[in-house]
Amino acid sequence: MSEAVSTLANPGEVPSAFLRDARGLQRKLVEEYYSGLAPSEKPHRPVAYMLVGGNLAEIVRAFGYDVVFPEIVALNCAIKHQSLDNILHAESMGYGLDVCGYVKNDLGLQDLGGKTSFGQIPRPDLLVCSFSGCYIYVKWWEALAESYGAPLFMFDVPYMREEAPRKEDVDYLVSQLWELVHLLEKRTGRAFDMDELKRILAESRRAEDGWVEFLRAGRLRPSPIEAYFESIFYMFPINVLRGTREAADFYGVVNEEVRARVREGNLPLPEEKYRVLVEGVPPYTNYRTFWDFFRKWGAVSVVATYPKVGGLFDRGFRHDPARPFESIAEYSLGAYVNQSWPLRRQIIADYVKEYQVDAAIIHGIKSCRSFTAGQGDLRDWLIHEQGLPTLYIESDHQDPRYFSPAQIKNRMDAFFESLEQRRAVAATARAASA
Amino acid sequence: MSGIVAGVDIGSTTAKCVVLGDDSRILGKSLGAVGIDIVKDAERALEAALADAHLSRSEVSFVTGTGYGRYKVYFGQLVVTEISCHARGANFLFPGTRLVVDIGGQDTKAIRTNERGEVVDFAMNDKCAAGTGRFLDVCANALGYDVSEIGPLSLQARRAVKVTSTCTVFAESEVTSYVSRGKDPKDILAGLHASIAMRTLSLMQRVGVEPEITFTGGVSQNQGMVRALHQRLGAPVNVSPLSQYLGALGAALHGRERLSAGAS
Repeated sequence: MSEAVSTLANPGEVPSAFLRDARGLQRKLVEEYYSGLAPSEKPHRPVAYMLVGGNLAEIVRAFGYDVVFPEIVALNCAIKHQSLDNILHAESMGYGLDVCGYVKNDLGLQDLGGKTSFGQIPRPDLLVCSFSGCYIYVKWWEALAESYGAPLFMFDVPYMREEAPRKEDVDYLVSQLWELVHLLEKRTGRAFDMDELKRILAESRRAEDGWVEFLRAGRLRPSPIEAYFESIFYMFPINVLRGTREAADFYGVVNEEVRARVREGNLPLPEEKYRVLVEGVPPYTNYRTFWDFFRKWGAVSVVATYPKVGGLFDRGFRHDPARPFESIAEYSLGAYVNQSWPLRRQIIADYVKEYQVDAAIIHGIKSCRSFTAGQGDLRDWLIHEQGLPTLYIESDHQDPRYFSPAQIKNRMDAFFESLEQRRAVAATARAASA
Repeated sequence: MSGIVAGVDIGSTTAKCVVLGDDSRILGKSLGAVGIDIVKDAERALEAALADAHLSRSEVSFVTGTGYGRYKVYFGQLVVTEISCHARGANFLFPGTRLVVDIGGQDTKAIRTNERGEVVDFAMNDKCAAGTGRFLDVCANALGYDVSEIGPLSLQARRAVKVTSTCTVFAESEVTSYVSRGKDPKDILAGLHASIAMRTLSLMQRVGVEPEITFTGGVSQNQGMVRALHQRLGAPVNVSPLSQYLGALGAALHGRERLSAGAS
């Protein structure tokens, strides 16, 4: 019901002793990626811009393209406290307060020349709008296409209302993938190499296996991983470098480290008091502060939905070199935000059981309705239909003006106080009946 | 060691303190404004409540801090959110309470509780002071009244105007506009109270409206607001002269519980 004042030393400080080699390697991969994008030589490798959800990275990689994900550039800006300048610049260009933070960060950054503290973001040679479920995203890509005069490939992905993809939807996407192949052949002057695509897909699959092994470590009690906060680091290879050997090898290092944590008892927290499921996009601008709000209550994020935005691999999906186009189509259909709410609810309900979750925290973001709309109903459903204590809080993933630490902390403290009360009452009842 | 405990509630606009005796009788209380130096405000709140109780600091065994300034109650041994404290305080005064509506200076909260005064669910206003005490302050100012006057005046309204703004700043403009159109200030005030009641009901519905409902926080002392809530709910709400102190009272009760647990 409460916390002793003595436990409040150094609020905001997040001990990270449990993070070792994998975090260092991830940093190195990020640095190499951004420095490799800088067009120091001419002609440079062509660059395709793509969205994370349902992306078609393997196909453009097969044609020698580098892939840039402006959403990931934006989140890197936000976590390094560089997003607000870009957002304010975009607003001065005429983009309204309610426009998505990713969009404003990127368009502001582009207009300011694309220079970040982690590297120069190159101009696109091709724009592939791989997630058409968000109207704002479609407009974003159109704005970039107009700004750079780059060709825009719009990939139309039907919304998923059933768990298994329909054959006609897969066929529809495969036909579009061939259109993309023809466009790439025309742009690069290279013939499509199916063997190269299969080789890349095999690497993707290897990375997906490793990523899933990491995520499933959250099922252990106590969990050796922070499935929400730590995954934010390890999503980079699976989303940005998927299809490369480096990405696949990376998860070997991660999983070795996780096994060592279990052996050595080097865990995210000395005592795992609450196993929490987290739904929603993180407040990147204040991510460490947000993490600390969990840690002070002994809450470990054992499972989260956000790390699945790049693919629901833990639900069984894999890219398949034996079915290259069909599996890419199924991947795009299966993007987390492309699932209807009944499907998203089912995924979450399964996680609650599989990961022995005590409570859920939903973090809604002001500027993204495609992820957030429906989370209020999800909260009610989890509380009333699933009997799971659930808290809904809101800020933003990009715009620090929406993150109010005192208000969010107050809500989280009250939520954990109520969990503590319930546990105390249950313990008293058990003792009385014993 | 005595069984005397204190709860200090540092809100956004006022600091409250309640001193409880062994028998959970209120021995003393205080209410003061919160300024820039919250640490001193907390100390003053405790001193004033102790003076009211004719007690010295050494006679208090346990102090609990609550409210937004709870971490500034450095002399305390425990911090608890005001959400848990209002639930506990409301349950203490009105044991049948299942829903607490707390309207303070900058926050409105709907807190569903169980029979033990524990929090079952809660919802709060978002990052906006519309529908809070601050909203009433600003609008009272715009009409040239002190905030303490507006509740009784609103009860004299003949035909409440409709205040549509969901923003404190815009509502102030709307009030000014009604004044320039010659509307009776009492009718404007009734409209303002009704608009807060409407927003509050929406918040209450998010956690489930369940009797008994207890109204806490500084705004609960406003009779106009009590009536507006009653009208909007179609049901009475519990109010007490101590309603503004329920956060501090709840904090003291949490402290008592901690003290007893420690002793056992």
